[in-house]
Amino acid sequence: MEVSVIRSCSQATNPKTELGFSDSRFSFGKFNEKLFSRKPNSVSFESPLRRGKSGLRITAQAAQSDRLPKSKSSTKSKTLNRIRLFAGLPLDVVSGGTVNQFRAISAGLKALKLLGLEGVELPIWWGVVEHESMGKYNWSGYLTIAEMVRKAGLKLNVTLCFHASSQPKIPLPEWVLDIGKTKSNIFFKDRAGKPYRGCLSLAVDELAVLNGKTPMEVYQDFCESFKSAFSAFIGSTITGITMGLGPDGELRYPSHRGFAKSGTVPGAGEFQCYDKNMLHLLKQHAEACGKPKWGLGGPHNAPAYSELPTANTFFKDHGGSWESPYGDFFLSWYSSQLIAHGDRLLSLASSVFSDSAVNIFGKVPLMHSWHGTRSHPSELTAGFYNTATRKGYKEVAEMFARNSCKIILPGMDQSDKYQLKESLSSPELLLAEIGTACNKHGVRISGQNSTVGAPDGLKQIKKNMLSENLNDSFIFQRIGAQFFAPEHFPLFIEFVRKLNQPEPHSGNLPTKEGTTTATDSVHTRSNLSIHMQSA
Amino acid sequence: MATLAVGSLLQNPRLSSPRGQKLLLNLKPLRSLDLDCSPHRKLLCSRGACFSNSNPCGKFYIVKASSTDTAPIDTFSSADILYEQTFPVNRIEKVEGKLLIRLDQSKDQLNWRLTIGCSLSGKWILHWGVSYVGDTGSEWDQPPQDMWPHGSIPIKDYAIETPFKKPSKDDTFHEVKIDFNPSSAIEAIHFILKDEETGASYQHKGRDFRVSLVNYLEDDGNMIHAKSSFGKWPDAVEQLPNMVLKAEASCDSKNENRRLEGFYEEQPIVKEVSVGNMVNVAIRKFPDAANIVLHLETDIPGDVVVHWGVCRDDAKTWEIPAVPYPPETTVFRNKALRTLLQPTGNGSRALFTLDEKLDGFLFVLKLDANSWVNFQGNDFYIPLSSARSVKGQSDSESEETSGKAHTDGIINEIRNLVSGLNSEKSLQTKVKEAKESILNEIEKLAAEAYSIFRSSTPSYPEEDSDADDAEPTINISSGTGSGFEILCQGFNWESNKSGRWYMELKEKASEISSLGFTVIWLPPPTESVSSEGYMPKDLYNLNSRYGTIDELKDLVKSLHGVGLKVLGDVVLNHRCAHYQNQNGVWNIFGGRLNWDDRAVVGDDPHFQGRGNKSSGDNFHAAPNIDHSQDFVRKDLIEWLCWLREEIGYDGWRLDFVRGFWGGYVKDYLDASEPYFAVGEYWDSLSYTYGEMDHNQDAHRQRIVDWINATNGTAGAFDVTSKGILHSALERREYWRLLDQKGKPPGVVGWWPSRAVTFIENHDTGSTQGHWRFPGGKEMQGYAYILTHPGTPAVFYDHIVSHHRSEIGALISLRNRNKIHCRSIVEIVKAERDVYAATIDDRVAVKIGPGYYEPPSGPQRWSLALEGYDYKVWEASS
Repeated sequence: MEVSVIRSCSQATNPKTELGFSDSRFSFGKFNEKLFSRKPNSVSFESPLRRGKSGLRITAQAAQSDRLPKSKSSTKSKTLNRIRLFAGLPLDVVSGGTVNQFRAISAGLKALKLLGLEGVELPIWWGVVEHESMGKYNWSGYLTIAEMVRKAGLKLNVTLCFHASSQPKIPLPEWVLDIGKTKSNIFFKDRAGKPYRGCLSLAVDELAVLNGKTPMEVYQDFCESFKSAFSAFIGSTITGITMGLGPDGELRYPSHRGFAKSGTVPGAGEFQCYDKNMLHLLKQHAEACGKPKWGLGGPHNAPAYSELPTANTFFKDHGGSWESPYGDFFLSWYSSQLIAHGDRLLSLASSVFSDSAVNIFGKVPLMHSWHGTRSHPSELTAGFYNTATRKGYKEVAEMFARNSCKIILPGMDQSDKYQLKESLSSPELLLAEIGTACNKHGVRISGQNSTVGAPDGLKQIKKNMLSENLNDSFIFQRIGAQFFAPEHFPLFIEFVRKLNQPEPHSGNLPTKEGTTTATDSVHTRSNLSIHMQSA
Repeated sequence: MATLAVGSLLQNPRLSSPRGQKLLLNLKPLRSLDLDCSPHRKLLCSRGACFSNSNPCGKFYIVKASSTDTAPIDTFSSADILYEQTFPVNRIEKVEGKLLIRLDQSKDQLNWRLTIGCSLSGKWILHWGVSYVGDTGSEWDQPPQDMWPHGSIPIKDYAIETPFKKPSKDDTFHEVKIDFNPSSAIEAIHFILKDEETGASYQHKGRDFRVSLVNYLEDDGNMIHAKSSFGKWPDAVEQLPNMVLKAEASCDSKNENRRLEGFYEEQPIVKEVSVGNMVNVAIRKFPDAANIVLHLETDIPGDVVVHWGVCRDDAKTWEIPAVPYPPETTVFRNKALRTLLQPTGNGSRALFTLDEKLDGFLFVLKLDANSWVNFQGNDFYIPLSSARSVKGQSDSESEETSGKAHTDGIINEIRNLVSGLNSEKSLQTKVKEAKESILNEIEKLAAEAYSIFRSSTPSYPEEDSDADDAEPTINISSGTGSGFEILCQGFNWESNKSGRWYMELKEKASEISSLGFTVIWLPPPTESVSSEGYMPKDLYNLNSRYGTIDELKDLVKSLHGVGLKVLGDVVLNHRCAHYQNQNGVWNIFGGRLNWDDRAVVGDDPHFQGRGNKSSGDNFHAAPNIDHSQDFVRKDLIEWLCWLREEIGYDGWRLDFVRGFWGGYVKDYLDASEPYFAVGEYWDSLSYTYGEMDHNQDAHRQRIVDWINATNGTAGAFDVTSKGILHSALERREYWRLLDQKGKPPGVVGWWPSRAVTFIENHDTGSTQGHWRFPGGKEMQGYAYILTHPGTPAVFYDHIVSHHRSEIGALISLRNRNKIHCRSIVEIVKAERDVYAATIDDRVAVKIGPGYYEPPSGPQRWSLALEGYDYKVWEASS
């Protein structure tokens, strides 16, 4: 007789049990979701029993979350604890091949585990791993982190950062920058021809500009190398992979450069179609459309980065060029280039990790300033053709759905009332708009807070967790001195605890069912995060 | 019996089929005793224990002995405690027990009952489901509601979970009873066992347990009671743990009816229990003794061997110390010593006598053949040297204490903020206590993380380029390029003479680039009435005295190849006509831009234009173009865009921009979107009785006005600075280099980012010499403009002269110190014969024959360059 013992990593007493901090939730992989969607009322695992002879054993794993019977939860109730909570590790947690502030990280991980967080997010930088020369990868520091996370009994969502960071300064790989010195057209350029060295221009995705390889090939090699280096973690500790899609990892053009000073009204941003290759694509497109003259450059009457949208006529609320046939021509092209770029990267990730039990994520920015105007300049310059008259996030959601990827939306801590009035900004409306598009296409949404922070941010995050804008997980950015500071950390503890203790006055929350008492629920919930294996 | 452990398998959120397979291959045998040791766990098991934040690197805070939960060591009461440390040790012990499965008929004979029991303590949960007859897949279904034992909760739609209950309070035995109707279509009950305390789950041979309720099924391997055996059931469940009831007879019934038979089976089950132990190390010294005594004690049960050595350096190289050794010590392979600890009442201990001069004591504990206890993957390290130092240096001790007090302060702060949370819920005291201890733990960890993060959080200076973007009124734009541009004027008045200037310059491309220039200005490219190119005729004809259009393209390509941006010299103010009008005046244009006299300004009688009045000064040698005409502007924009596209120019040098309004320039630049643009706004400085005025504000104001009119899209040559330098250098009036507000007196003092500083060009110098820079003082001029803010421009003649290497050195100094167009200049001296300034606190410069040395300050200046009447220093720190 054999009894297999499967135990979780946490060897110590399971604190979650007593605390009730644990978050329980529903986490199915792509594969399972598909199964379920076909057969909603019966879980259909392959039968290992009947295939015993073939030697193939198929294990399907299901996790459970809703304690409530399906029938009862059919009302649109939602528990906060369905949202898996992650915290981001410091951006520069690894430099060179070593882990920075090892002790702090390890203490932090333990604290987060005890708090009942699902896991942490780890940014892995192209410029750190493939720093020296093409194809030479150094994963050592990141492997250390993965091991630490595994030991702490946490999950890991890695972000593959194919971009640079300005604070802390983490540039692109040296060899890429070297190439960029002579071929500045591998970077996005603004109207002044100033290159953006924070990531490669999407126009070179499939041009062999990197020592004979295309950036897509280089990204793919990177992903493959990551996959083999972390094979022991992928699917177990590593449950999510976020594919970097552009500046700050987001699917967008670098239409705003540098940081807006707080308290100043952000500008409209600038179109970034001025690198040679983008211009070439534009020209081709214009010629194909029979409008060769439209392909000579970007809109001449668009304002510059920090100028107000009203500084020129392109974004004018009424009669602006954006509404003209030319505007439609340009904006359609500009946004479709971005979506095609996202599609390329996400389908690359999906195919590389197709046999791995991980979720693939991509991040879409929340360009919420000027959302109150008709033309939404910030969104347009960032590459989202979303205006008062055109729903632009449909194509984005479709693209994510097509690749079975989940979407990360930042800025969940931003509320309308703290925005500068002059910027006609509405993070909440925009979020709802994107959320609707995603829900329509079945794209699950993971949230993030903005790095700049916001007043009453935690409150706003919770509000979003209760809405349909957020239904997968939440990644809190980020661990560091400020995070653990006495003025912040207790608030965070409280935030996490409250997630498991729905406020009684909130009508949107489920009522406790049946005989379960408060104490019971504490006990049973912790159990819910344990996944059952059946085969 | 093979017991397998799979770390983290259970937390895998989605195991799709290929994955599961893979993971199962990762099964690794569990060592019989798995040991782990980390400081924080100790907190959980014994909160009263006093120990400091241990550090994996082996440095420990020194904590004076205080009440600990270790056994007091009376023998040392007279000795000083130099060091004491308690290491928590977490071991995983295996506890064996039994899983009992019983199927029998309930008393009413109608229903049947499946009882699953477990003899081990723990919070057991039965996770279970059913399958129906005729189901083809292996999936579970949720049991019908009437089967649910009390307290069950549904798991989605395919399973439920039922907690085990104790039949009586004192029992360690737990069970779940499931009643069901045998006539239902249920084919089998499937379950796995979970221990809520540890998160472990228990399966049967890697699959779920399966109790078949019909017996005509094939044996799938994981069926319990596979042989259809039946047994008599004891009525009293309480007796189960002690009973081993095996089916006495097994009849391989192949009946195909649904006759259920009761059975009872036991399965061994092994649970891993985390046990908290500790290792306490104390170092004491008797007064007047040469040796120190290290006391090691642990509460780990059983025989414990200390595998130990000492070290004399930071490298922690093990070596065997001199005798004496404690009893029961053996030498292990000449590398280490092994000492069996002597049992005490609740553990074991040993005393080690060590030489005071040693650096450290290293050890690991060996529990049996395969089980070792180490400290977070490293050897335990006890610093003997710090024990030594404590004795003499009470200062360091109090420092440590205050550090600890600080951490405590943070913890208290956090505690105060979270306190009150607990009172919200009326939870059982026990739960409350557990919560309290975990909160406590979280707070400690957070405080530790905070103190480290805070001490090592670097401050990031805001980047200059970012600051650019944030400037509200100024675009980052063609007015400045990157801000770090250094311009080379790539021709002189004679360059057209050879007819192959483009080819000649191409030869020099890499040389110019290697000097450190970023931008090069090429001569006017169009067909021109004058060979120098400033009297353009057909704008689209780019065959000129400098070379053909193809040679030009080739040159631009080469220049780009060496990383230079290329400025085209465009003459927009005037244009020479192809044809005469009816009055014989040349004002009708040909070529692609075949404008008529409407394109010519109306206020220049020489050319009888029909256009509007000029928006600027007139250049009298050729028809001045009326930029107020839409078609003119449209054509010029188209031309500029064509030049950008066709030739690859990156930007413009705009000739004679005094001739038309700067606002039109803005239009041209907005449309052609150059990387960099600079305009020539050259008019006379103010003189009084032939002597240049000190105050040239009016002059620079006119230039600034023009830049303003372009909305800052272009820079302008800083003619003011050149003029003032003339006087200052020629007449030894270096005081002129300071304006009334303490700034540089040229455009560079007012709008440095738009000032293109220069000392000579093709007009002022070269073979024309309209306004030549004082001879022999050129290098002072370059020392000034190449160290100061603004965008400096170097004239071609100078880089092919003997000044070349000095200029190159200044350029590389500028680049090295990242001086840019907005660098901050602080003028420290402006006297009759000497001018001195520091720039960005990184570079100091003096020009003039007078004496100046930068003060010895924190920058530690070192002389970088020196030439005739100038010196440049760099800060070396």
